[in-house]
Amino acid sequence: MKQLLLIIGAILFSTLFYKQNMGLNLSIFSIFSTILLVIYNKAAFKRKSSKAFALVYFITALMVFFYQSNLSIITNCIAFLTLIGHISEQSSSVYINWLNGLYTSIAGFIHRYIDIQNNDQEVTKKQIDYLHLAKIIGIPLIVIIVFIGFYKNGNPVFGELISKIDFGFINIQWLLFSIIGYLLFRNISKPVQVNPATSCDLNTGNNLVSKTETKLEHLVKENQLGFILITLLNVLIVFFLITDITYLMSSQDFRAPAISNQVHSGINALIASIIFAIIIILYFFRGHLNFYKANKNLKIVTYIWIALNTLLVINIAVKDCQYIYYFGLTYKRIGVLIYLILTVIGLITTAIKVKQIKNLWYLLRLNTMTAFAILIIASTINWDNHITNYNLYYAQSMDFKYLINLSNNNTFLLKNYAKNTPLSVDKNTSIDEKHKNYIDKLKDHSWQELQFDNFKLK
Amino acid sequence: MDTLKIILKSIVLSTTIFWIIIISKDFETDMLYLIPLSWIPISLCCLITICITVLPFFSFKPDKYTNKAVFKRYFPFYSIVCFGLCFYASYNSKFDIDLMSFLASAFFTTTYTWVLFAKKPNEQNHLED
Repeated sequence: MKQLLLIIGAILFSTLFYKQNMGLNLSIFSIFSTILLVIYNKAAFKRKSSKAFALVYFITALMVFFYQSNLSIITNCIAFLTLIGHISEQSSSVYINWLNGLYTSIAGFIHRYIDIQNNDQEVTKKQIDYLHLAKIIGIPLIVIIVFIGFYKNGNPVFGELISKIDFGFINIQWLLFSIIGYLLFRNISKPVQVNPATSCDLNTGNNLVSKTETKLEHLVKENQLGFILITLLNVLIVFFLITDITYLMSSQDFRAPAISNQVHSGINALIASIIFAIIIILYFFRGHLNFYKANKNLKIVTYIWIALNTLLVINIAVKDCQYIYYFGLTYKRIGVLIYLILTVIGLITTAIKVKQIKNLWYLLRLNTMTAFAILIIASTINWDNHITNYNLYYAQSMDFKYLINLSNNNTFLLKNYAKNTPLSVDKNTSIDEKHKNYIDKLKDHSWQELQFDNFKLK
Repeated sequence: MDTLKIILKSIVLSTTIFWIIIISKDFETDMLYLIPLSWIPISLCCLITICITVLPFFSFKPDKYTNKAVFKRYFPFYSIVCFGLCFYASYNSKFDIDLMSFLASAFFTTTYTWVLFAKKPNEQNHLED
């Protein structure tokens, strides 16, 4: 039964993906993969977390059907690896899930084969000798084909007979594609673990533990150094913020290059300062100083520093929003906002790490999971449509060519806009051309490539 | 002797995969002459790749490790890196069939070689992984 399921999967894989673009096929593949995983790993799917990851995977596949953007396709692949990795080991971190998921998809079957070989070597030897079978079929076949080639040119009658044989009805590439599909489903049917990475991850907790005694004198010196350094950095960042906010309030220069320079230089400063901030905090709170009773002042200046860095983030966000208001949305400007959100989360988790005496792994686990969640949320948004809508109806000015060069997700919106708003001939021509090309493309779609917009066609 | 056998088996597999993919694209009987000829470069490629990238894991392993333990410890990372490089090269070539046949045969052959080495009987008493 299970073998039959794999064979059906292989045929389905070729039918869905052989010489096809992404669309409905990825959603069907996701459903089939999930069913296969449930059948082979019933126990794992009794847990809520597995069901949640399966749901996330299915949602990302639906997003490919709706928007067909590169982001949704990449997110779907990552969600697929996460689900498989999670089934292989439910308690591991998300980055270990990715590692296990990737390894399972590439070589899960081979890993299990080696396991079985060693455990049941005697039993396996009594089974069918596949290598011998391959030899008695493969070697004569190859030799005969080679000799046919020789004889074909030696005898014209024989050559003519051979040339009449037509195997055109067999599509070997399609068959090879099915074999790849079979291997993929075989690999993922029983997810495996990469060790010792998985076991190391499972054995590493989130809390810092005080292991050995350290000299009190050494701790006092380190505490003093940390306090002075972070206090001075606080003073510096306050000074920077005051000058920056003053400049922002007094500046009347809203030309694109001026604001662009501000945002970009601000971002560069932010990246450097946040990275250094987290490194310095991690250095001082790496071990014994966490358990030193007189570290209260050091902790206070650390929290103040984290808060000031958050203010820096807000400052940059204000600049970015101003930029967006005057010159419209673009992917880069949205990217800056997403980076700022990630930065704030990174700062908050660092503060939690200091307060609750957590280790570096805690930060890595929590922040990776947050990044994964943000990626999933980002993939559910039709960015091109939102960018176009904002730029056309709300922004003070915008780059029309930029909207035309976005993906086809904004085509219908642009067409509607052109219908209701008087535009120049050039702009109308660009929109009509984009609309026509998109309609032609949608009409050319096979059933595997169908997407949501196909159903909007009358 | 075992190692030589493993390399020979890998060469056979590599040639088979390479030609199956090439033939699947476009088959002409004139190509049949090239199959025996292609053994020379394919054998060289196989020999060099296996000797440089797979054999050292088993030849220089600590005495306490079994072949299976070496496989379980290093193969996951090897396969991920190998797959990543092959996929990257295929993507860059816009999935050109000739390059893909080479890369596919390289990936499956190295994987198969790892399996053969892992199955090779151990000479001494070792710790299991």
